[in-house]
Amino acid sequence: MKVIDHKIERLLWQVQKPARYTGNEWNAWRKDHAGIKVKMVLAFPDLYEVGMSNQGLKILYESVNRRPEMLMERAFAPAADMEELMRAHNLPLFALESGKPLAEFDLVGFSLQYELSFTNVLNMLDLAGISLHASERGESEPLVVGGGPCAFNPEPLAPFFDFFLLGESEECLPELLADLDAFKQTAPDRKELLAKLSEKEGVYVPALYRPVYKEKKLKALERVDPGAPGVIKKRLVKDLDSAPYPAAPVIPYLQTIHDRAVVELFRGCGRGCRFCQAGYIFRPVRRRSREEIVKTAREQIALTGYEELSLASLSSTDYPRLDELIDELDRALAGEQVKCNLPSLRLDSYSIKLADRLHRGKRSNLTFAPEAATERLRRVIKKNISEEEIFTALGDAVDAGWQGFKLYFMIGLPTESDEDVAAIAELCHRLKQYFRRKAGRRISISVSVSTFVPKAHTPFQWEPQLPLPEVTRRQEILQQGFKKMPGVDLSWHDAETSFLEAVFARGDRRLAAVLEWAFKLGCRFDSWTEHFSMSRWRQAFREADIEPEDYAQRRFEYDDLLPWSHLDCGVDKEVFIKEHRKAFNLDADFEGEVR
Amino acid sequence: MTRIKFRFARHAPLKHISHLDMMRLFQRALRRSGLPLVYSEGYNPHLRFNLALPLPVNVTASEEFGEVYLSETVSPDQFVSTLRAQLPESLDLKSASSEDYKAPSLPSQVVAALYRATPGREENCRAGSSQFRAALDRLMAREEILVQKTKKKKKQAYVNVRPYIIEAYFKESGNESPLELYMLLQAGSSGGVSPFFVIEQLEKELNCDCNNKAFWELHRESLYTDKDQFLQPLSEGM
Repeated sequence: MKVIDHKIERLLWQVQKPARYTGNEWNAWRKDHAGIKVKMVLAFPDLYEVGMSNQGLKILYESVNRRPEMLMERAFAPAADMEELMRAHNLPLFALESGKPLAEFDLVGFSLQYELSFTNVLNMLDLAGISLHASERGESEPLVVGGGPCAFNPEPLAPFFDFFLLGESEECLPELLADLDAFKQTAPDRKELLAKLSEKEGVYVPALYRPVYKEKKLKALERVDPGAPGVIKKRLVKDLDSAPYPAAPVIPYLQTIHDRAVVELFRGCGRGCRFCQAGYIFRPVRRRSREEIVKTAREQIALTGYEELSLASLSSTDYPRLDELIDELDRALAGEQVKCNLPSLRLDSYSIKLADRLHRGKRSNLTFAPEAATERLRRVIKKNISEEEIFTALGDAVDAGWQGFKLYFMIGLPTESDEDVAAIAELCHRLKQYFRRKAGRRISISVSVSTFVPKAHTPFQWEPQLPLPEVTRRQEILQQGFKKMPGVDLSWHDAETSFLEAVFARGDRRLAAVLEWAFKLGCRFDSWTEHFSMSRWRQAFREADIEPEDYAQRRFEYDDLLPWSHLDCGVDKEVFIKEHRKAFNLDADFEGEVR
Repeated sequence: MTRIKFRFARHAPLKHISHLDMMRLFQRALRRSGLPLVYSEGYNPHLRFNLALPLPVNVTASEEFGEVYLSETVSPDQFVSTLRAQLPESLDLKSASSEDYKAPSLPSQVVAALYRATPGREENCRAGSSQFRAALDRLMAREEILVQKTKKKKKQAYVNVRPYIIEAYFKESGNESPLELYMLLQAGSSGGVSPFFVIEQLEKELNCDCNNKAFWELHRESLYTDKDQFLQPLSEGM
């Protein structure tokens, strides 16, 4: 067993939740570094308890470590108290398994899950003593790679990364590590090595491309190296059943956000909601077989002792014959005292029936995401559920004894009017009355409202985000509507963080300078309200001479070169255009789609 | 139904986790072990399992206790070997015994705990052992040591924890650290005081001008129950 380095140990008694930094959890891999050919650290740019809730991290950890000749360790962003001590004591960022500094590994891979973690990426590189800019990294420094959803538009991060891995990497990452080991023998230097890597499908080496801007617009993406691929295709797992998946995931000592066994039912989503990036970048839908799901569930429960099992996917109740699967799981886990749950429930009676059958214990709250409160707007975003369906489904849930609902909405969606915003409160009001008549008891409703962020690789990728003052005005309409509604709990996302998210979600390489400034000005954990500072960000934009509004509120034309147009998520531009036109009823063919 | 009481030590690598983390750790280890566990009835069935006394974060321990109910007879030896296979090395399961089914619950038996605090070696307070001893004498001579506690309705109230310090004394350890502080503190349902609070008070009494905050290594030596008005180690009879 690793004995935590004395230096680290000396800091731990002074920090909150020291177990964030100690590793050694049950089911964690402990590999002797001697004799291992390729060593990688998976760095998650957020706190331990957030990163350890990420299923992708657990899958990759399994996929690499099951191969004896390579290893993957983990590192997370230290909280502010720990960072301060590490800097004061000159202690570099270390990997949890071995306590070794990140700089001693061959590869440092960042999981890029959300834009607001980008400053943490820079901070972690800095804490690790790794050169921030890929172009300045020496031969002995690790390669820095990024993957995950934000790798589908990684341009704002381009100068800080040696390469990105596009798409699902549980199958290709171990292959790539093996290649890397082979290339290291033959490639004379880092540059050559990266050129070789760029020949692999899914590998995007940003230094091989040079963007050309004209009048604030991206005009061209020139290939620095003529051998570089013109388009980088994402990697895709063909068969989930044979792809690596952890039977014995690491069990954190600390309580994490999702502290449970997770079996993925299927990857991708066939719904095609027009705002949803996951719905497009994870296409096509690939299912895990029923036998494999039951087998994995049984193994995970036996090897973890978890008391809860989540059947995860983007829209769980779309799994065919889910009721039969649930019966089988019931039999397989009989007597184990395991609670099962189905996240991402659709708002229909079938889903509610299934959620209810799975459920054990007190029927507290069910969560749904209608996203928009009027049928018209729901058709625009292709979240096709009728008001009648909502009432029937929630009515069924109340009959089954559920105590309350959490409902997710978005404001600022394309075509949204003040009426659509006010409709959120009106819908909740009607639901309240309906529940009162139906149940005769108090049904709690809590409403969470986020702001629409246009994302790359979605039909709304060309759409602007609403200007900040307008978002604020619509939030006021929202609050006004809920003012006289006791018992309904309203919360909404901070407009400024959504603004920042929009800037980077469709950003280009010019934003890298902003990120670097923001990091130097002390921006960290920007998705955490207690750390977020818009004034620091404003200063970063000023220093880099960039107007953030130009990015967030930009409307792209179909002919514009998008900063991510060389990255192929597997969905043709024509599909996005067709979906975009359908949303706004721009073609006569689609009449009736929108009222 | 059987009731098993078990004894374990917690070594340094695991000292950073909280009581709730420990509870989850044991519950999951028990669930993995395949032992015939017993759950409570009702809507949210929970494992019939207890730890004698929460162990604070950053404290190691040599004699901790837990208890668990089993639906079938399992010998203490078999219990130890089965559960041990599911525990991390730093959680050292030492022995187990069958307990009277009707005896009061383990947590309700605990009345006191003995702690040993060793000041760390580096960047430490420069005060010498005589200064430490004098500070402790001053602390123990006080009739009142008040600690602010938030009571119901968020009212702030002061509790005098001086009576909860049953004993506190320094021992010359002889090896690397010159001094070891032993504290026998009241614990359990009738009230208690945190060893960290006592140390904090001692540092205040010490009032050393070096401004180096000492780095104390804290260890819980043993837990005690009340036996005819005398303290008896919880390990008695195991």
